[in-house]
Amino acid sequence: MTQLYLITGINLLITLVLITLLSGCEPGEETGDRSSSVDGNGISIEGAWARPGSMGRMSAGYFLVTNFEDEPDTLKGVYSNVAQLTEIHESYEQEEGMVGMREVSEVVIQPNSTVSFEPGGLHVMFIQLTEALAENEDFELTLHFSNAGDVVLEIPVRN
Amino acid sequence: MDFLHVITVFFIRARLCVKHLKHNCMNKKSVLLVLVLISLVILAGCGEEAKDDYGDVSFNLVDQNGEEVNFPDDFRGKPLVLGFIYTHCPDICSLITANLYKTWIELDKPEDIHFVIVTFDPERDTPEVLKDYAADFSMDQPPFRFLTGPKEEVAAFMERVRVRNQVSDIHKTAEGEEMYFLDHTDKILLIDHNSRLVMDYGGSMTPTNIIIEDLEKL
Ligand SMILES: [Cu+2]
Repeated sequence: MTQLYLITGINLLITLVLITLLSGCEPGEETGDRSSSVDGNGISIEGAWARPGSMGRMSAGYFLVTNFEDEPDTLKGVYSNVAQLTEIHESYEQEEGMVGMREVSEVVIQPNSTVSFEPGGLHVMFIQLTEALAENEDFELTLHFSNAGDVVLEIPVRN
Repeated sequence: MDFLHVITVFFIRARLCVKHLKHNCMNKKSVLLVLVLISLVILAGCGEEAKDDYGDVSFNLVDQNGEEVNFPDDFRGKPLVLGFIYTHCPDICSLITANLYKTWIELDKPEDIHFVIVTFDPERDTPEVLKDYAADFSMDQPPFRFLTGPKEEVAAFMERVRVRNQVSDIHKTAEGEEMYFLDHTDKILLIDHNSRLVMDYGGSMTPTNIIIEDLEKL
């Protein structure tokens, strides 16, 4: 009798552990309803957006880039038709509350990891817009990776 | 919070001393330390009243509509949230600009607070450029004012409010023109109705609820 109780107890324990593990997995899979475009070559871009900007002025674009391959990939360049110059930039902070930004020649995305282009950090810089970027419109941005090749994004404009 | 912790420990130990009638449980050093800390905090509290006073300065600037504006005369009587940007900076400066807009929205569009942004790059940021820039943030509307002015006047103003900037990088555009970028102070100021500086925030990364809390105290 006692042995039966023991076995039932172990079964219950295993069931509980399994339930915990399974339920634990669920929230991790949720990535929200971000716009995403996945390329066949193991590079995924999520949550892209850019600031509105008037003709001749500036804008900045942001996204999350994930490399699902087992080798590093490198973002080598960015291209668009909406600006005279489209560059990879990085904002930085110095001592005494001074800030600035500079061009970055490339960004390495390590295997199975995500690099975030976000306000105050890495951004795609659109210099001297050749057309106005109005809120709720979209435009095309091409990201060139050394392994994955060209990834074309539709970027929504918003603040 | 560290200070509160020290005070709490001090009083708990003091109570224990009384309870057990021990003479050596608190040495003179710790009593002295706490007394010094108390006086330091009181002194710091006194300094917080006014960090600076702009009551006796006068700078003649111009807004995005070409209207003349005097700092601080035209802003007396209401609190003023003041940000500093240049429009060739769509990343960090956008955060500063958007912070003013968010503060206004989150306060339910108050009419009794001034929201003003001043450029430290007046040569490129003319009223016309600032008007486009304001429109891109849905801010080309009252109460927002975007200010520029003569180069020397703006430079003197920036020096007075302790906003520094210097050329960091010169870029060639597609047409071969030179374009510069600036390193600059990241700052938003809160100035009261009497032109006294109340708070000095790191502009781009300041959560708007902190600005709102301070505004509500005025
Ligand atoms: Cu930039």
